Amino acid sequence: MMANSGTLALAAWLLPALSFLVLAVVYPLRRLGRPAAWFSIVCAAGAFASAVLAWRGVGGSEDQVRLLWPWLPSAGKSIADVGVAVDATSSIMLCLVSLVALLVQFYSVGYLHDEPAGALGRYYAYQSLFAFSMMGLALAPNLLQLFMCWELVGLCSYLLIGYWYQRESAARAAVKAFWITKAGDVGLLVGIVMLWQLTGTFDLAELRSLAGTNAIPAAGLSIVTFCIYLGAMGKSAQFPFHVWLPDAMEGPTPVSALIHAATMVTAGVYLLVRTAWLFALTPDVLLVVAWIGAFTALLAAVLACVQDDIKRVLAYSTVSQLGYMMTAIGAGVATAGFLHLLTHGLFKALLFLGAGSVIHAVGSNDLPNMGGLARRMPQTATVFIVGTLSLAGIPFFGGYLSKEEILGAVWGAHLTGPFVLLMLVAGLTAFYMFRVVFLAFFGTPSPVARVTHAHAAHAPAGHAHDVGRVLSDPPADATSARAAHAALHNEAVVEGAHVNETPRAHEPPVTMLLPLWVLALMTMTVGVMSTLKLGGFAAEPVEEGAPGWLTPAAVGVALAGILLAWATYQARAINPATLAGAFGPIRAAALRKFWIDDVFEGIYGVVLLGFSRIVGWVDRYLVDGVLNVLSDWTLQAGDELRGIQTGKPQDYVYGVGAGVLVLILLMRLVF
Amino acid sequence: MSEQIAFAVLAFTLVGSALAVVLSKNLFHAVLWLALALTGTAGVFLLLDAEFLAAVQLLLYAGGIITIVVFAIVVTERLIGERLTQTNMRIGGGALLSAVLFGFILMVLARHPLPATRPEMPGDLTRAVGEAVLTRYVLPFELLAVLMLTGLLGAIYFARPED
Amino acid sequence: MGLQPYLLLSATVFCIGLFGVMTRRNTIGILLGIELMMNAVNINLVAFARYTAVASGMVFTVFTICITVTEAALGLAIVILLFRVRRTVMADHLDLLKG
Repeated sequence: MMANSGTLALAAWLLPALSFLVLAVVYPLRRLGRPAAWFSIVCAAGAFASAVLAWRGVGGSEDQVRLLWPWLPSAGKSIADVGVAVDATSSIMLCLVSLVALLVQFYSVGYLHDEPAGALGRYYAYQSLFAFSMMGLALAPNLLQLFMCWELVGLCSYLLIGYWYQRESAARAAVKAFWITKAGDVGLLVGIVMLWQLTGTFDLAELRSLAGTNAIPAAGLSIVTFCIYLGAMGKSAQFPFHVWLPDAMEGPTPVSALIHAATMVTAGVYLLVRTAWLFALTPDVLLVVAWIGAFTALLAAVLACVQDDIKRVLAYSTVSQLGYMMTAIGAGVATAGFLHLLTHGLFKALLFLGAGSVIHAVGSNDLPNMGGLARRMPQTATVFIVGTLSLAGIPFFGGYLSKEEILGAVWGAHLTGPFVLLMLVAGLTAFYMFRVVFLAFFGTPSPVARVTHAHAAHAPAGHAHDVGRVLSDPPADATSARAAHAALHNEAVVEGAHVNETPRAHEPPVTMLLPLWVLALMTMTVGVMSTLKLGGFAAEPVEEGAPGWLTPAAVGVALAGILLAWATYQARAINPATLAGAFGPIRAAALRKFWIDDVFEGIYGVVLLGFSRIVGWVDRYLVDGVLNVLSDWTLQAGDELRGIQTGKPQDYVYGVGAGVLVLILLMRLVF
Repeated sequence: MSEQIAFAVLAFTLVGSALAVVLSKNLFHAVLWLALALTGTAGVFLLLDAEFLAAVQLLLYAGGIITIVVFAIVVTERLIGERLTQTNMRIGGGALLSAVLFGFILMVLARHPLPATRPEMPGDLTRAVGEAVLTRYVLPFELLAVLMLTGLLGAIYFARPED
Repeated sequence: MGLQPYLLLSATVFCIGLFGVMTRRNTIGILLGIELMMNAVNINLVAFARYTAVASGMVFTVFTICITVTEAALGLAIVILLFRVRRTVMADHLDLLKG
């Protein structure tokens, strides 16, 4: 039933809100840690059940169920409402968000079991808040609620990246994420306001009908859509706003899985999908979107090839796939981008959680510290390889159809340049992901000492998992320098560990394995169904129009990448160093992240700090200066006037006499 | 006629000695000039048929005041200047102020009609003053006595020997 | 003769006395100026009393003379005390009230 969908979606949206409010307000519950965690998980489970039921209840792709409450009253009617707008797109997004949120929260029980209870309660409060904000964004009926939830999502990202805020790098990464996304958000706000100025409404349904009847004035619309795209650039890490995503890996791995793989970063893509009919009116902006998307994909793929931190590889991979989605939208086929959003959400979350289980077992993020884990952690290895094959776009695995759709859409829109870039990226994706697989799960185990989570007593709680990422970050202090030195000499990386101990990696607990298997099964299901065109994938218009050579070419490129990775890292037929040397200057630039971070720092230092220095100067010397001059004059005048008080009575008589005479003169002459 | 000549002489004496009082470089000389001025005032009182007052003036002022001022000068330091600026300050400003005040009084006097002739004297003025003091103005008279006693005590206290 | 000449005379002496009060450096000199001013006032009173046939003007004069005498005595006592304490009677030096 239609009405039921609305209430179900509302229930799904508000359950995490309830969880957040309870955890935020009831401090005794939050302090207990685990009970808070289970409370949040129960609410998340309820939200997921509601979301699925709501999705089943929605009819065709054009129907929409709306439940609204007036919020900003103005002259009788309301400027903006709050509520839910449930249609095919938003209900599927709701399902994705609630599913991944539930799985991640469940997984975190195992991953963060070393955490102090109070911090754990705080974590789950943030998780609930994030789930609430993301669902509010997905279900937003108008741009104002969308923007509010957009900002809330950014806030939650900051809170969760900086969860281990005592660590300076984490705190800085959180602030960096917040700043960069905020820069984009300014554009989004400007765009929303300008759109309101053009049309007089925030409501998405109204705007859509206006766009359909060409009632929106075309003048300035390009600027509006570009500004909205700026917001999407910030959140979805398009070049040059992608710099925050790799640093955001400072947060716990489940957070990375939830926020920086499946949900928050996809908010930008989702926004563009929701307003696709608006962007269709400005094709030049769409062209920009496509080109930037393709370029981002390539840039990130190149950067991913040189990373030694497993989470950073996945982060750059996410940026790259977001570029894929944006290119599809830029080609005008938003549905292809949205499909990839869904499948990517599943297998990227899977990859992150798998990486989390590896990190949990090994005690370090670094690929050189891993090796031969497939023997000791077969389940993790299996699900990880499933995820990798999905990412590579191999048939019968999750990402196959969505990738083909995107390539078909880009080719169909005659965007040759982006198409070539995307094909190249497909090959690179397969290469770097299988590099990770071969380095981590196969080959000989690294003789570097390990600290398992059972030995966490030697290191501060919570730090045993992501410690030692020294080869990706420049050494900042004595500890990291010592660790870098130690890693180069295969010595103990973490204090208290023993040198040359055989690895004691093992499978993670059930709470961590269960979500992994759920995601793996779902990815496989999607992959099989989409390859065989079963169920909902029966009719895919884009696929029909694509040229015959597209699929084989794409799959071939991916297989070539896998082959190269196997040859270099597994069979050792090609020396990795020679391969690296072949791309020498590119590799060197990639290790410096192409100096993009330095450009940002330079802009900040020169423009922002310079401007603030100017403002400071004006404040000190002009504003304060005027006041200081006035006060100095007052003091001087006081000093001078003080001379009248000579202390001699004669002078006072003189003064009185003069005063009386002046008065008399005044009386006689003036009055 | 004779009244006018007497008035002219007395006025001349009075004004001249007053100027000498304020412009004299030697303080002691100034006191003596003051004595002359006070005597001139007594003469003016006589011209105005106030014999009692003339006597009182001579007794108290010319006699008493001058005596104590002389004693005060003897006890304190003396300043005998060679130039007027040593004994006087702000001469220009003071002169200006006095001149303007004088001009103003002149202006006021010029506007108002003043009696030009003396009315007849109803009997003895001294007698009238005496009677008035002891009947109508007896209260101020007594209070005056108290005041002078207070002044006497105060002066004695001020001028007591140091211990 | 008329009242006016007497009033003019009184005004003259008053202004001269005022000049003395304002300009004299010596404190006793200031007191002399004050005496002159008092005298001028007395002349004024008596002249008005005579020319309006009101005897109380002269009574008033008696009173003012007495009060003036008292005030002069006290003033000089203060001058003597001042000299004892500050070793000076120069009005320039008596500026403890300087702000």
